Amino acid sequence: MKLFIESIIFSYSQIFFSNRKWFGIVILAASFITPISGIFAFVGVIISSALALYLKFNKEKIRNGFYGFNGILFGAAIGYFFEITPFVVFLLVVFIIITFFISAGLEHLLHNLFNLPGLSLPFILTLYIFLIFATNYNDIFYASFLGESDFLKEYLHEILNSYFGAMSLILFQKTVLSGIIITAAILFFSRVMFLNTIIGFAVNYLFLHIFYQDVQSNVLILTSFNSILAAIALGGSLIIVSRKSFFLIAISILMVIVFTGFFSKLLVSHFLPVLVLPFNLIVLSIIYTLKFRQEQSDLVLLYFAPGSPEENIYYHSVRKARFERFKFLYPELPVLGEWKISQGIDGEFTHKDEWKYAWDFIIIGESGNEFENEGNSVEDYYCFASPVIAPLSGEVVRVIDKIEDNKVGEINVQNNWGNTIIVDHGQGLYSSLSHLKKNSIKVKKGDQVKKGDLIAQCGNSGRSPYPHLHFQFQLTNKLGDKTYMFPFSFLVERENTDNTFKSFDYPIKDKFVKNIETDSSLSEAFNFQLGSNYIFDCSINGKNFTEKWEVKADILNNIFIQSDNNSKAFLYPNEKAFYMSSYIGQKNSALYYFYMSSSSVPLGLSAKLTWNDPFPVSLTANSFVKYISEFLLHFGEQIKSSASFHFQKENEKKELSISSSLEVKGQGIFKLYRENSEGNVIVDKSGNIKEFTYKFRNHKFIATNKRVNYE
Amino acid sequence: MDKKVYERPVIIKQYSGLMNKFGGTTDQTPIKDIDGVSVKQLVEDFGSPLFVMSEDKIRANQRKMLRIFKTRYPKVQFAWSYKTNYLDSVCSVFHQEGSWAEVVSEFEYDKARKLGVPGEKIIFNGPEKSSSALIKAIKENAKIHIDHFDELYQIIEITESLNLKANVAIRVNMDVGIYPKWDRFGFNYENGEAEAALRRIVVNDKLNLIGLHTHIGTYIMSAEPYRLAAVKIVELFNKLIDEYDITLEYIDMGGGLPSNNTLKGQYLEADQILPSYEQFADAVTSPLFDTKLSGDKMPLLILESGRALIDDAGYLISEVIGNKRLADGRRAVILNAGVNLLFTSFWFKHKIVPAQDTGGFTENSSVYGPLCMNIDCLREEIVLPALKRKDHVVILNTGAYSVTQWMQFITMRPKVVMIMQDKTVELIRDSENLEYITSPEKLPEKLKEFSL
Repeated sequence: MKLFIESIIFSYSQIFFSNRKWFGIVILAASFITPISGIFAFVGVIISSALALYLKFNKEKIRNGFYGFNGILFGAAIGYFFEITPFVVFLLVVFIIITFFISAGLEHLLHNLFNLPGLSLPFILTLYIFLIFATNYNDIFYASFLGESDFLKEYLHEILNSYFGAMSLILFQKTVLSGIIITAAILFFSRVMFLNTIIGFAVNYLFLHIFYQDVQSNVLILTSFNSILAAIALGGSLIIVSRKSFFLIAISILMVIVFTGFFSKLLVSHFLPVLVLPFNLIVLSIIYTLKFRQEQSDLVLLYFAPGSPEENIYYHSVRKARFERFKFLYPELPVLGEWKISQGIDGEFTHKDEWKYAWDFIIIGESGNEFENEGNSVEDYYCFASPVIAPLSGEVVRVIDKIEDNKVGEINVQNNWGNTIIVDHGQGLYSSLSHLKKNSIKVKKGDQVKKGDLIAQCGNSGRSPYPHLHFQFQLTNKLGDKTYMFPFSFLVERENTDNTFKSFDYPIKDKFVKNIETDSSLSEAFNFQLGSNYIFDCSINGKNFTEKWEVKADILNNIFIQSDNNSKAFLYPNEKAFYMSSYIGQKNSALYYFYMSSSSVPLGLSAKLTWNDPFPVSLTANSFVKYISEFLLHFGEQIKSSASFHFQKENEKKELSISSSLEVKGQGIFKLYRENSEGNVIVDKSGNIKEFTYKFRNHKFIATNKRVNYE
Repeated sequence: MDKKVYERPVIIKQYSGLMNKFGGTTDQTPIKDIDGVSVKQLVEDFGSPLFVMSEDKIRANQRKMLRIFKTRYPKVQFAWSYKTNYLDSVCSVFHQEGSWAEVVSEFEYDKARKLGVPGEKIIFNGPEKSSSALIKAIKENAKIHIDHFDELYQIIEITESLNLKANVAIRVNMDVGIYPKWDRFGFNYENGEAEAALRRIVVNDKLNLIGLHTHIGTYIMSAEPYRLAAVKIVELFNKLIDEYDITLEYIDMGGGLPSNNTLKGQYLEADQILPSYEQFADAVTSPLFDTKLSGDKMPLLILESGRALIDDAGYLISEVIGNKRLADGRRAVILNAGVNLLFTSFWFKHKIVPAQDTGGFTENSSVYGPLCMNIDCLREEIVLPALKRKDHVVILNTGAYSVTQWMQFITMRPKVVMIMQDKTVELIRDSENLEYITSPEKLPEKLKEFSL
């Protein structure tokens, strides 16, 4: 029953691409300003949702109002166009069922064929069927709009009347009042969307007067209503908002005017109204066309479950910052212990042009030199004869092992790569390790190696004046092939005493780097096994509750933690680092606080390790400044939020903790806005998440693991 | 300009020897300061004899060794061998560098716990572990390395009677081609005793087998025995996986790496004949890649190096009490520090260097300590310049075993200071006094009175 009620409410939200319950309720209320449309719309959504449940469609989609909103539109439209007779009501029920089937089918078809949303295309199709079918009868009459007075119209300017009229027409409402309510709801839901409705209306008004000398009010309302919807869809709800959104909206409005003119003439002979047809065709065709650009770096189409335009851009930019560099292969440094990058990408000596994505590794001793004594013999160099390991599993495809090691200062330009191993990692990625010590190679061509296997020793063969390891990724098994830009998965980078955890990064010259040495209790604590359960005793501001989590996987193999209040934190499982890729749900669940205080954790412990991770602004607590700043989101993000983390020293119980300080900071004119919060996660020595806390404003949240018994 | 050094007159027999192109000079650079702190100042402030530890050198040694092993094996943990030098300050420096504790007695165990080392980071070795010590160690989750069957039975008895679970490893001894064979410690590999012990342990659910330990000897002068030892330990490790499906957490390869000191039997100086630590590390680590595990699953390598990390971080400053000419004409120098403070001089030829400028003439000398015992000889032969009363000498490489094996015999034990990294000098152990020595003594009432 809860699901059913939610599905009805969310169906109303869905009309405006919203995912808010309160928004759905307001729209529901607004739809009853013209009671008959409201009732019919309500009948529409109830039948659609009930049918979807009865036929066992995907519950998540039902809940989100996926199957309901076309029913609403259809019901509202019938209420709008026709005089009500029992027979019309009967037909309404029949056609809502038809709408449901068409929408469920069309949705699927568009998604699978073109990866496009269905929008309100099912509604408009069914409506046309209905309208033509209705001509079989002589006793179905169009309702007359004339003579209906709307007292508010008297008080408002003509332009405002057109604007609100267009807004109310979205719900097939006849009064300005419902337009005002809808507009207010949009304003509270999303500043970006509100701005888009204004832009849509204004640009349409402007263009319309260029196209036509004399603009009739019904044409104005019809085009405005399509333009506003197109602006909403293309300006943030289906495409991430940016400056280019203005351009896209303007183009779409030009198209709206042209297509409206076209369809008016085309459909008039069949007595069919144009309604949302231009919006549907234009938005679908624009989105479809944009998919074929070579570079998708702006006007990014939504690739995740949509939220408000604000949530979309915040989520997208954080996702980009966090995961853009992530790959499906996880190479590690080809060495053990801490080494220094003596030449990095685009290096000053040999890493140039086609060979620029390469690294040279050396070892620095305690005195700060790379050698002891005078450094006149290769044995003086700390890295000489140190082990070299396989960075990733694969097959050895090339081994050169017979080139003499040079004396210090000399180079061998005949065989400039020296002794070399090339490993094929599959997926087209190869790694090449050069200047190895003569006779030190422990593998032969055709051997399968595992990540971390000892394969050779660092040497001084080839074009190497002093011992070092040259490492590069490439795309073939050729010796000395051009390099390929590919990152190391997880590593610790040190500069002086600052250790930073890096993910899928490219080590920089003069930094010290090492692989992550996993800590068993950390790995255990952050190993969220599918199916495992957690119970936390929580308290915030003295209010107590318990929250249960379960680790689940969906049909796309996404693994996530789901709390008993239906919030989800998606996981990115990996043996070296724990990542939560995103959080969807309420901002008062324990899972939310857990996400905020440990969105990423390297699974190797070292005392002075720090790391940073941005998180979406939408996950921060609401504030007035944030609301205001969102009016400027078209021009870029006005607020940035990021967390910095570090491990705390073990406490007296030998528990370690991860401390985070989160900062929300205004940019540009909002520079003075700043808000901080703090998180802390305690892991006990047997590998359990024992407790986590989160402090923001005057609130303090604390959760303790109920499963673990502490004396 | 400095005042010229007064040189007492010496008569030396002209001794041409064989012709060589290097001449007969000996390097006589005095050690006037240690880590930038002048010896003179140290003696003025703390007296002599005086043990001096260098914080900087300890840390550098530990970091170097860690670097050498960590660039050769992904998971390395050092455990500071308490018996080598268990002064609190020294142990703390090692613990600050991340080392665990390796102890061989209840006293050492308690010392480590008192310093704050958690039980699970203490490795409890040694042939003697009292029941009280074992109970404590088991309760605190220490890693107990079992030395012999009777100890195993003792542990089984304790765990059963008190219903405790013990984390244990066994020490394994083996033939790695060196003499002496240290088969008195642990269970033998070749005769199957080690496997028998492992079988006893794996079937007992009160014992949690977590590691294997070997320690092939001390001051090992070749790297190859370590390779052999590692190969054999890895065989045992893999066998446990194959036959019992037990994956151990760690392999403890012990210590025994040599320091810079030269043994009495050695002709060449230590640093000229010993393999580098890199070569030792290579021998220890490369067989470990042959366990049946890879990547993060590989066993932790524990090392218990002692003398290699501390010997050259310790100095003993001593004062010349007098010179004399022995009956055979040899020169003898008497110092105020002898074998009572430097037990290691029984087997090492400790370097003794003057702490002030001296003249260029050198003479083969014997160096004696202050004890009224014939054995109190630090060096039977050493080439030294002419030293006079109240001159000071610095005895090098005295960081290992000296402040643990020293004797309160005839004289009392002196102060120990540590030169910190910021060049300040901290007293880390005060000198003993009569009250300290006599306080545990009990004098029966009837013996108190006497008249002479």
